Amino acid sequence: MATSLDIRTEPGTPVTHRRPGSPRRLRLSRLDVKYSPYLYIAPFFLLFAVFGAYPLVYTFWVSLHEWDLLAQDHPFVGLSNYSALMSDTDFWNSVYNTLGIFVISTVPQLLLALWLANLLNRQLRARTFFRMGVLIPNITSTAAVAIVFGQLFSRDFGLINWVLGGVGIGPIDWNASKLGSWIAISTMVDWRWTGYNALIFLAAMQAIPRDLYESAAIDGARPSRQFWSITVPLLRPTIIFCVIISTIGGLQLFTEPLLFNSGTNPIRGGSLRESQTMTMYMFENAFAPNYNFGYGAAVAWMLFALIVVVAIVNVLIIRRGARSS
Amino acid sequence: MNGGLWKGTRLTYVALLLAGVMSIFPIYWMFVVATRSSDAMGEVPPPVTPGGNLPGNLDRLFANADAHFLTGMLNSAIVAGCVTVSVVFFSSLAGFAFAKLRFRGSNVLLLVIIATMMVPTQLGVIPLYMLMTDLGWNDRLQAVIVPALVTGFGVFMMRQYASQAVSDELIEAARVDGCGTFRIFRSVVGPALRPAAAVLGLLTFMTTWNDFLWPYAVLNDPENPTVQLSLRALSNGYYQDMSQVFTGTAIATLPLLVVFIIFGRQIIGGIMEGAVKA
Amino acid sequence: MKGALMHVNSRGRRARGGSAAAVAVAITMATLLAACGGDDGDSGSADGPITLTVDVFGQFGYEELYKQYEASHPNVKIVERGTGSNLDEYSPKLTQWLAAGKGAGDVVAIEEGLLVEYKANPGNFVNLLDHDAAGLKGNFMEWKWNQGLTADGKQLVGLGTDVGGMAMCYRKDLFEKAGLPTERDAVSKLWPTWQEYIKVGEQFKAKNTGAAFLDAATNTFNTIVLQYAGTGGGFHYYDTSNTLVVDSNPVVKQAWDTTMDIIDSGLSGKYQAWSDDWVAAFKQAKFATIACPAWMTGVIEGNAGAGATGKWDIATVPGNGGNWGGSFLAVPKQSKHQAEAVELAKFLTSPQGQIGAFKAKGPLPSSPQALDDPAITGATSAYFSGAPTGQIFGTGAKSLKPVYMGPKNQAVRTEVENAVRTVELGQRSPTDGWADAVNNAKKAADK
Repeated sequence: MATSLDIRTEPGTPVTHRRPGSPRRLRLSRLDVKYSPYLYIAPFFLLFAVFGAYPLVYTFWVSLHEWDLLAQDHPFVGLSNYSALMSDTDFWNSVYNTLGIFVISTVPQLLLALWLANLLNRQLRARTFFRMGVLIPNITSTAAVAIVFGQLFSRDFGLINWVLGGVGIGPIDWNASKLGSWIAISTMVDWRWTGYNALIFLAAMQAIPRDLYESAAIDGARPSRQFWSITVPLLRPTIIFCVIISTIGGLQLFTEPLLFNSGTNPIRGGSLRESQTMTMYMFENAFAPNYNFGYGAAVAWMLFALIVVVAIVNVLIIRRGARSS
Repeated sequence: MNGGLWKGTRLTYVALLLAGVMSIFPIYWMFVVATRSSDAMGEVPPPVTPGGNLPGNLDRLFANADAHFLTGMLNSAIVAGCVTVSVVFFSSLAGFAFAKLRFRGSNVLLLVIIATMMVPTQLGVIPLYMLMTDLGWNDRLQAVIVPALVTGFGVFMMRQYASQAVSDELIEAARVDGCGTFRIFRSVVGPALRPAAAVLGLLTFMTTWNDFLWPYAVLNDPENPTVQLSLRALSNGYYQDMSQVFTGTAIATLPLLVVFIIFGRQIIGGIMEGAVKA
Repeated sequence: MKGALMHVNSRGRRARGGSAAAVAVAITMATLLAACGGDDGDSGSADGPITLTVDVFGQFGYEELYKQYEASHPNVKIVERGTGSNLDEYSPKLTQWLAAGKGAGDVVAIEEGLLVEYKANPGNFVNLLDHDAAGLKGNFMEWKWNQGLTADGKQLVGLGTDVGGMAMCYRKDLFEKAGLPTERDAVSKLWPTWQEYIKVGEQFKAKNTGAAFLDAATNTFNTIVLQYAGTGGGFHYYDTSNTLVVDSNPVVKQAWDTTMDIIDSGLSGKYQAWSDDWVAAFKQAKFATIACPAWMTGVIEGNAGAGATGKWDIATVPGNGGNWGGSFLAVPKQSKHQAEAVELAKFLTSPQGQIGAFKAKGPLPSSPQALDDPAITGATSAYFSGAPTGQIFGTGAKSLKPVYMGPKNQAVRTEVENAVRTVELGQRSPTDGWADAVNNAKKAADK
C-alpha cells in the first residue's frame, strides 16, 4: 500500500540521506533496534513496580491471613478465607448481582457505542456539536450524577415514577427490587460510558482509509454490508480493547451502585443486598463494620479471577465473530 | 452511489439528536437545581426550568470557609494537567513499542499490563497510604500525581490504536532511510496517533479531575484539597445543602468543558488528517 | 536514558513527541525533588511550639475553645480537620489511619457506635487513666463514663463529649389536621408507652392526612430496643461476657414484636433513614413524628427548611428516656504529643468546654454539671415552637440506664435493623424476618 515515497511527501519531514554506514553508527542503530523498546516501556513498569505492584502483592498477602484491620497481630491462615468465601451466600449473591448488572449494562452499551460512532463518522452538519455531545455525560463527577439519577428513580419524588404514574403504573420502588435496582444502575452506567466508548470507536474508525469504502460501494455493497465487512473487522483491535476495558470496569462497578443506595450503610446495597456488587462486598468486609481485611482481600482476588475468565470469554467471542464475518 | 456511507440521513440526525438530549438532560437538570434552592430536589413534579438563585448560591459557595473551593480547582488543574501530559506521552511511547517494535517478552508484558488492571484497587488504599507516609508525600499533590503518571489503560489503548493505524511498511521505509527509533516515533508514528492521543488526553483529564477515592484517602489537609474533596466539604455534616453542592459541581465542571472544547478541536483536526491519509 | 531524550530535544524540531517529553520528564523530576526536600508537618522539639491536630466530623463547636486554650498554652497551636464532614466518610478514614499506623490526628472524635469497635483493640489508643483521668469521673454521667472504658475497666479509651438523649419530634400542622392535640405537654401525655403510641398512630392514619405517622420503622426499632435493654438487664445483642444473645435475650424479641405491631398498623412511611428520599420527605411533610435525639433537631431544621419554622415541636418519647448518639474524644497511640493531646482532650470535654460547645453549635453536654447550667436549662428552640430543648433532652439523658454493647455491635445491629426493613417493605414475613435477623447477626458476629 504505502511506498517509501510517502515519507518524503509528508509535510515538514526533511529528506534524509542515507549516510555511508560507519561501524559506530551501525552498532548504535543495532542497539537502538534491540533495546529501545525496553526503554519505551520502562517508565510504565518502573512506576508500576512501586505504586501498582506493591499494593497488589500486599493485598494478596493480606488475604492469606486473618487480618483484623485494627488489631495488632495477624495470624497466617493460608487459604481459609477463600474456602469460607465459597460457602458464603452473601458473596455469591454479590457475584450474581455483579454479573447481572454487567450483562444489562455493558452489552447494550458497547453495541450502542459502535452504532453511535458509525453515525458520527458521517458528513454531518454541526458535527463537532454531536461528537462532543455524546461525551458530555462523562464530564461530571459520578457523585453528582448519582444524585441526579437517584432523584430520577426516587420512589416518591422521582421524575420516572411521575411519568409512569401518568400512564397508570403505580410507583416502583427501584431500590427495593433486584431487577429495579439493576435497571436503574445500568441506566446510570450506560448513560455515562456509552459516549466514552463511542468516541474511542470513532477515533479508530478515522484510521480506516476511505477508498476501501469507495471501492466497495462501486462493487455495489450497501452501507450496512460495508459496515459489517469493512469497518468491524478493521476495528477489531479497538473492539477488543473496549470489550476488555468495559469488562474490567463493569465487573468492578463500585461508585454507581454505592451512590445509588443513599441512606445508612450504602455499602450493603439495600436491605436484601439487592444491588451489592463484589467490590462493595469486598469493601464492606474490609472496613466498617466488619474490619476483616483478610476476608475482603480474598474477595478482591476472587473478583480478579472472575474478570480474567469473563474477559477471555469475551475476547474469544469477538475473535470468532470477526473471523466468521 | 459514491457517498452512501458518508451522508447523514434524516434518521441519523434524529437518532443523534435523541442521543444528545438524553446525554445532556441530567446535566441540564443539575444546572437547574444550581439556580434554585434545595427545595427543588423534593418537589413533584421536579422543576425543569432555571430559577434565580444562582448569584446567591455562588456567593455562599465561594464564602464557604471549609471548602477552599478555589484552591481545590487550582490543585485539580495542576494534578490533571501533569497527569494528562505524562500519560499521553508515555502511553504513546509504550503503545508504539508494543505494537510495532519486536522485542522479547512483548506479549507476556502486555498481558501483565492488562492483568494488573483487573485487580480492584480500593483495598490498595491502605498499603499505598503507608507508602506515601514513608515517602513524606502525605497531604501533598505528589501523592496524587505520581502514581497516576502512567496507566495500563493508556498503554493498552495506544497499543491497539497503533497496531491499527500505523502501517508496518511506513516504519520499514523509515528504517531503510536510516531513522532511529525515536525519530520514527516522532515523525512517523506520532502524527498518526494524534486522534487517539487527543481522545486519551481528554479522557485522562476528565478521569483525573473527577477522581475522588484516592485523593480523599491521602490529602487530609483541608486547606489543600482537590476540587472533588472541596465539593464533599460543602456538606454540613448532618444534612446536605443540595443546591450548594450542585452549584459547586456546576462550577467544577466548567474547566472540563473548556478542556473539552480545546481537545475537541484536536480530535476533529486529527480526524480530518487521518481521513486524508491514502 | 534521559540523556538520549535530551539529545533529541535539542534539535529543536517542533514535533509532538519532543516537547511533551521534556515537559513530562521535567514534571517528574520536579515533583520527586520537591518530595525529597519536603518538610515535616509538625516538627518541633519538646520545648518549642507544637501543633495539635484535632479530627472531627460534623460540627463540634470548638472554635472558641481552641482560642481559649491557645491563649493559656502559648506553645500550642491547634488545627482542626474534618469540620462538616459526614460520619460515613470520617470513619473509614480513621480506620485507615489506625490500620496504617500513621496519619491520625492527636485528638480524634469517635462516635459512640464506632467506639465499641475501636475498644475491641484498645492498643491503638492511649489509656487516659494513665494520664490522671480517673478523677474526672464525676464530670460525666455514669453510663457515658462507662462507655469510654474497655470491658475490663482497665483502660479509658475516650472522654465523653455530647449525648443525644431522646425525645419525639412531631409536626403540629399534621397533628392538627388529624384532630390530635398539638401542645407539647398534651402530646407527651398521649403516649406514655409504645402501645399507646401505636394507638395514636392508628388514629392519625384513619384521618388520611396524606402523610405517614412515622418515617422509618428502623429508627423506631433502634430507640425501642435500647430503651427495653436499659430498663431490662442492661444489655441487648451481647451480654456482658461478650456472648451473642440476640436470639435468647427476651429484650430483643420484645422490641422486635413491638416494631412488628407498628409495621402491621401501617404507620411507617417506609423511608430508608438518611437517604435522599428521606431528606426530601421532611420538606414535603410526609411523616408526622420522628424519633428525635438532640442532634436530630439540627437535621430537621436543615431538611425541612425555614418554611417550616414553628411547625415542629418536641414531646417526650414513649417509654422512658433513651439515648441515641454522642461522641468521645480519644488520643491515638501514634500521636507524637500524647501528654499535650490528653490535656487538650480533658479541656474540651470539661463541663465548661461542653457548655462552650453547646453555645456554639448545640451538641448536648454529657456532663451533669453542664446540664444543670442555666445556659442549657434555659435553652429553647425558636424553630421548634420555643420548646425548652435543654430541659427535655437533658432530663431524658440524666435518667438513663447504660446499655452494654459487645464487640461487633455495629455489624449485628445493622443486620437486625435490615431485617426489620425487609419486613417493613413487605419483602419478608415477620417470622422469616426474625429468622433472618438471628442468622445474619450470628454470621456477622463471626466475621
